[in-house]
Amino acid sequence: MTETSSGPPSFEIFHARKAGNGFFEWVATVDHKRIGILYLLTAFFFFGVGGLEALVMRLQLARPNNTLLSPDAYNQLFTMHGTTMIFLVVMPTLIGLANYFVPLMIGARDMAFPRLNAMGYWFLPFGGLLLHFSFLAGGAPSVGWFSYAPLSETPFASSPGVDYWILALFALGIGSISASINLIATVLALRAPGMSIRRLPLFVWMVFVNSFLLILALPALNAAIIMLFIDRQLDAHFFLPTHGGSALLWQHFFWTFGHPEVYIMVLPAFGIISEVIPVFARKPIFGYEFVAGSTVAIAILSFGVWAHHMFAVGLGQPMNLFFAASSMMIAVPTGVKVFNWSATLWGGSIRLTTSMLFAVAFLLQFTLGGLSGITFAVVPIDWQVTDTYYLVAHFHYVLFGGSLFGVFAGIYYWFPKMSGRLLSESVGRIHFWLTVIGFNMAFFVQHFLGLMGMTRRVYTYPDLPGWGLLNLISTVGAFLLGFSVLVLVWNIVVSLRRGAAAGDNPWNAWTLEWATSSPPVEQNFDRLPPIRGRRPLWDLAHPENQDEPETSLEKNEGNRINKNQVSMMCFIASEAFFFIMLLIAYIFYNFSQHPNPGAQLLNPLRTGIFTLCLLASSFTYWRAEKRLESQDPTGFLFWLAATLVLGAVFLTGQGLEYFELFQKGLRAGTDLFSASFFMVTGLHGLHVLIGLAGLFIVLAMALAGDFKAGKIAAVKTMGLYWHFVDVVWIAVFTTIYLVGLWT
Amino acid sequence: MDMTTGQFLSSGWNWNPLVVAACFVTAYLYGLACHWKFRRKSFFFLAGLVVFFLALASPLDLLARGVLFSAHMFQHLLLVLIVPPLLLLGLPVLGDHIHIRGGVLPWGSHPLVAWFSGVGAMWFWHVPAFCNAAATNGPAHALQTLSLLFLGALFWQPLVGPRMEQRLSPLVGIPYLFSACIACSLLGIWISFAPLGVCPVFMNPVDKLDLLPMIRGWGVTPAADQQIGGLLMWVPACLVYLGAILGLLGRFYRRPEKEMEKKNAWRK
Repeated sequence: MTETSSGPPSFEIFHARKAGNGFFEWVATVDHKRIGILYLLTAFFFFGVGGLEALVMRLQLARPNNTLLSPDAYNQLFTMHGTTMIFLVVMPTLIGLANYFVPLMIGARDMAFPRLNAMGYWFLPFGGLLLHFSFLAGGAPSVGWFSYAPLSETPFASSPGVDYWILALFALGIGSISASINLIATVLALRAPGMSIRRLPLFVWMVFVNSFLLILALPALNAAIIMLFIDRQLDAHFFLPTHGGSALLWQHFFWTFGHPEVYIMVLPAFGIISEVIPVFARKPIFGYEFVAGSTVAIAILSFGVWAHHMFAVGLGQPMNLFFAASSMMIAVPTGVKVFNWSATLWGGSIRLTTSMLFAVAFLLQFTLGGLSGITFAVVPIDWQVTDTYYLVAHFHYVLFGGSLFGVFAGIYYWFPKMSGRLLSESVGRIHFWLTVIGFNMAFFVQHFLGLMGMTRRVYTYPDLPGWGLLNLISTVGAFLLGFSVLVLVWNIVVSLRRGAAAGDNPWNAWTLEWATSSPPVEQNFDRLPPIRGRRPLWDLAHPENQDEPETSLEKNEGNRINKNQVSMMCFIASEAFFFIMLLIAYIFYNFSQHPNPGAQLLNPLRTGIFTLCLLASSFTYWRAEKRLESQDPTGFLFWLAATLVLGAVFLTGQGLEYFELFQKGLRAGTDLFSASFFMVTGLHGLHVLIGLAGLFIVLAMALAGDFKAGKIAAVKTMGLYWHFVDVVWIAVFTTIYLVGLWT
Repeated sequence: MDMTTGQFLSSGWNWNPLVVAACFVTAYLYGLACHWKFRRKSFFFLAGLVVFFLALASPLDLLARGVLFSAHMFQHLLLVLIVPPLLLLGLPVLGDHIHIRGGVLPWGSHPLVAWFSGVGAMWFWHVPAFCNAAATNGPAHALQTLSLLFLGALFWQPLVGPRMEQRLSPLVGIPYLFSACIACSLLGIWISFAPLGVCPVFMNPVDKLDLLPMIRGWGVTPAADQQIGGLLMWVPACLVYLGAILGLLGRFYRRPEKEMEKKNAWRK
């Protein structure tokens, strides 16, 4: 932990782990710090890609009636820009920072599941490649980042761009969900003694809440893109109104994910701001409980406001009214946060470091973006300005002026910890001012353009009074912004080579990551300071003036809950949401048709018998667990094998049913019943198959003698999944065969 | 002659003797039980009684009986989401100085039973046949009211019940409430988007008092009526759960964690 005065060698950031530093060590790493850096570097690369796409678009828009880009090229660019910035830049940056700092801030050795962590990261470049491969495969997607159906359906988007978009989002979703589950398990199971949940640093708390938001919101996107994929690949018509499908359902499903996604991209940035502002105002955060509690309120409310993206669709007066109200309400907890940050600044002895400058700019710009957001909750205003540049300005104020400014604040704040060297403050200031000026130039004028009626996603515009000038200002601002990124790169490269040594705690901060060396040793901490409050390093330095009185000492032993089971529960929650979305789709397509077309084709009695097999397999698995608990390995093996056989019988039954339906000429593309039936039962069957694979692994472990020592966590965890698959089938069977056929 | 809204609001009260008596008897028993010493808690209890009275005696009840689906839904939500927790919050914490034997049935204290009671009450009474019966048939309506209060009390007991040792730890209470919010949102979404006739009687209301001209004058068509009903269950109902979640967080940050960890349901 000792720091030499000469500072660490150049590019220490790449030496976070002492054992080897070759290419292979980085590819094969499972160290959360290295994975965090990989996330950040990959995201930064895509930031460059998405930024260049934006600059080309701004060049095209620099003057009226410009012909630099064809309409189709422009469409591809704005689609790729949006998708890249959201899924390949903002999300991975925030996950990367969380990856690096959550374990450090709670005094843990690593993430709960290091290898899962590496897998989650590698889905990021994989997804990025898939998305960009579309350029080689006949054209990038050109239907906007929300891919509204029916525009995204084959008749209107025949190139495979949308298919690559779907696959990329699916791959990235797997990565995000695994990272989220990992973070939840880490926070719940690996906190150091004394680090109670009530003492979590706010960044950790917000990442924690955000992880739940991710695992619950992404399934809605997954369900929607799977349906779109079935439409495009198997000729179904889920979203094609010409064949009885519903384009509106796509919008509902997409925004069920899409609105929480907005908060997914901003909550961790809130967390960064909540760390940076107190440290540089030299005051503890004002109203910790309110900042933490309002995060939960935002997360929950974010699920109940998506319809405000659809005011222009014509949902009807009552719908508009309720969602206008709920959308305005979400401004309350967000406002609470802004007040708390401002009150933290109030009367503090403020150090305007570059990090703090970005944090303060975040406050102002995010508030502006939030205010223009509230105007969208007013239905008539929404009708007027939706899909104009006013909207573009609004969400860039939230996502760039908010999220990315938060990320910049975090980079300047944590770079010394990651590299052992300080970023240059003077270059940092240049970077900051260029960014602020460029950003506001580029986007503030767009408010006016939108109010003047310029719609988004048009590749050019007529020479109306004022439009050319405002667009030119915006383009110049965008290029300033692009230049500012180069300044940041320069600052990072130069500081890595010649930056001043940071020492353990250059900012005199209070959270645990500053208690170890910079960069941290491989095991993170050689010795943890005692944790007696929310600011352990403050307590350490000021024993006479601790945050929490000695008497209220919370005794808190380290390990709390089983990380395997808690992560399986999270996975199950995510999967449950996925199946809920699928069943909603099934009900939507089938319950309003009388008579139900499936009624003549399905055989509820026979499927009922196979259902009993599946239910019995839950019972046999429970018996197997009991046998294992009472140390009866033979009985355990018997019941486990019985479970496997019953599961296989169920799958055989499903195969039989499919075979008969195929014989009758039913295909996914036949009608909406067949499409939704095959989708729901097929995806459930896939889960049974995965469950069977899991059971085989348990069987193999049992035969290898893994459970002799009474280590039954794996068995119990697998059991949770298996019972879940059965419960899902009960819901599917009830919906399709019981209620569906008899109403 | 058509009624005006003002006339309706003043004359639409129904002084059902059973409701009035229930209010007075409960208030009297409560007073006796706490020796007529009113504390801050008592306001919760009184507020619960007032909401109960308003839900069943005000013009809302008149509309809920087969005229306006959204009114039915509002009454439904008051009875299952507002009245029970208010009454429970008003009860002195057990071990204080009064003892309520059992409170609710012993098996009712299991969180799973409680959760399914609360969510089940929402879903069960919106099966078309039951919804119809409760809206048109007096005894069925009474049964509905009683079951909503009882099941609602079961649902809220692990959160605000008088027995401290039966309360869930706040961090377990959050998923408990959030999942209930999802379950009732799903019902609300179904009602909002389903074809007209989730509760068929409201499509052609039995309008003995000739209220329909007045209601249509408000701009409420049968389609809008059903949508408002669904949205009430979807959005404001979830706000009640959200409010409770914030209350739990408040409690969480006030109480030492030690106490909570002991009861953490994750631990066996």
